[in-house]
Amino acid sequence: MSGPSNLWVNRLRADFRAVLAGVALLTLVPLFVTTPYSLGILIVSIYFALLALGWNLLAGFTGQFSLAPAAFAMLGGYATGLLNYHLGASLAVGIPAGVIGTALLGWLLGRVVLRLRGPYLALTTLSFAEIARVVVGNSHEFTRGDQGLNVPTLFQSRVGYYYLFLGTLIVTLLFLYSLLRSRTGRFFLAIRDDPTGAQSRGIDVVRYKTLAFTISCAICGLAGSLYGTFSQLVSPEMGSLLQTGLVIAMVVIGGIGTLTGPLVGALLVYLTSEWLRGINIQMIVFAATVIIFARFFRTGLWGLAMRAKPQASEPKGIVGSPT
Amino acid sequence: MLALDLLVNGLVFGLFYALMAVGLAMIFGVLKVVNFAHGEFYMVGAYAYVLLALKVGLSPWVALPLAAVGGAGLGWLVERLLMRPLSVGYGSWSLWKDEYSVVVTFGLSLLLINVVDKVVGPYAFLGPPLLRTRSLSVGPVLVNGQKLIAAGISVALLVGLALFIKRSLLGRQIQAVAQNRLGASLAGIDATHTTSVVFAISGALAALSGALLAPLINPTPDVGAFPAIKSYVIVVLGGMGSVWGAMAAALLLGVLESFFAVYVSYAYRDALGLLILILVLLVRPQGLLGEKVREV
Repeated sequence: MSGPSNLWVNRLRADFRAVLAGVALLTLVPLFVTTPYSLGILIVSIYFALLALGWNLLAGFTGQFSLAPAAFAMLGGYATGLLNYHLGASLAVGIPAGVIGTALLGWLLGRVVLRLRGPYLALTTLSFAEIARVVVGNSHEFTRGDQGLNVPTLFQSRVGYYYLFLGTLIVTLLFLYSLLRSRTGRFFLAIRDDPTGAQSRGIDVVRYKTLAFTISCAICGLAGSLYGTFSQLVSPEMGSLLQTGLVIAMVVIGGIGTLTGPLVGALLVYLTSEWLRGINIQMIVFAATVIIFARFFRTGLWGLAMRAKPQASEPKGIVGSPT
Repeated sequence: MLALDLLVNGLVFGLFYALMAVGLAMIFGVLKVVNFAHGEFYMVGAYAYVLLALKVGLSPWVALPLAAVGGAGLGWLVERLLMRPLSVGYGSWSLWKDEYSVVVTFGLSLLLINVVDKVVGPYAFLGPPLLRTRSLSVGPVLVNGQKLIAAGISVALLVGLALFIKRSLLGRQIQAVAQNRLGASLAGIDATHTTSVVFAISGALAALSGALLAPLINPTPDVGAFPAIKSYVIVVLGGMGSVWGAMAAALLLGVLESFFAVYVSYAYRDALGLLILILVLLVRPQGLLGEKVREV
């Protein structure tokens, strides 16, 4: 299996090992961090890492840009919350329902939008995100509107929640790694790098783009649903464009099209955001950083780290390109 | 005469939508990307107008053109600093065009919202009206005076823009670049300069739309979000990149929304746009006047 270091499989393996090392470090964190407040911040960071991984599967690995990761998280949280509020459904039903509901919605939206080439996905998801937020906020009888909706909690322990989120992160990473190594993952990359070429080689481009969008929405839905049970409240604010902006900032700063990048970006951005909250300039800093990274360092911190290493290799390249 | 009232009000709002959407369509025409910071051009225009009139004490009639100049400057800067890599050369950036443009313009949108939020503050300002008039009755219809003046200015601007694009040399160059960027360059048109001009015009029109509405909408830093979404719906409905399509679709959306708000649901009036967007993408993706969209 060994080969030239810039072959996609080898780069992905190096990336996966790096992210596993990062996750291994995270499992030890509750030994040192014990205050509920700090653990809470880390839990929210992992929630954002899940959203970032979901968005990155679509944007970084398939080349399709959605502006609704936070909106799908909100909808996942509301699916769980509403099933409990109206029907008294337990979380064992509510959380899977959040995942399946968002996947189904993503699939339907993808079916309509992804037939077309061009910026339609970004346009439609942005409109969808804002309008979903307003509709949820305005439907007082059904969703309790802007007050937010209470969601039952799984357990009281912060440490328990920390490991629940970390476990979900590990499962998501394993799933993404095996997906990207599979035939389907290769198809995603081919679509990202050259949709016309992919089509001409017989890949059903629309089907695989829709699949990537559906999986991405399901990951966001799962993250949102878990976040709802953790904070015991879902509100329309969860789906705001600001939250989506944070997710994009995390991926772009960490390194788009990698597995390590979104995790590093999520921790870095969310922890910095907590740190800057006092003077309320965090969004200015992140938005400016995103623009600078997209303009000058489009491979993010992961790309910079790779460039610093000997036998440098860009994380993104044409699939199976000769060395 | 409720229906007539709704029609007139819808057309007036359609004119404001048109001012914004036309710029978005022109940008899409020359660069084939969507400017996700377009709503913030509108917001900056509204704030420039309100602050110049209230804090600096200028007459609204001076603040209005200054807001347009501010919007034009902002649009020009955005092109100069952020959009150049897309339009210069045919190198590596063409592969990442969507990635770059979505991330950068969305980032810019958040940046502008948060800078205004931090510098000016999150509270709403009500802009001073251009003329202190009460509602006027035009025939059987009662219209707010400010709206009527703003609508008149919008009509003049849109007609002026149409003449500019159809008749002037620069306007024809914009058309040529929109049709075929490489071909236009080969014919000696400076496509980069043309793109700058398009961004400046788009910025000015969106800023004017915001400034004209400032006395009616209480601008806050995130005021641009919904006008921007409506512009996206409009450019898809009109046909991506089609200026005439955008004008027609803007008026149509204004009227449809006005009737929807009264006859169907006021709380969910904004959802109509999404419904239209999805219907258009399902049934007629090329929009009313657009070229046929290439399915993958």
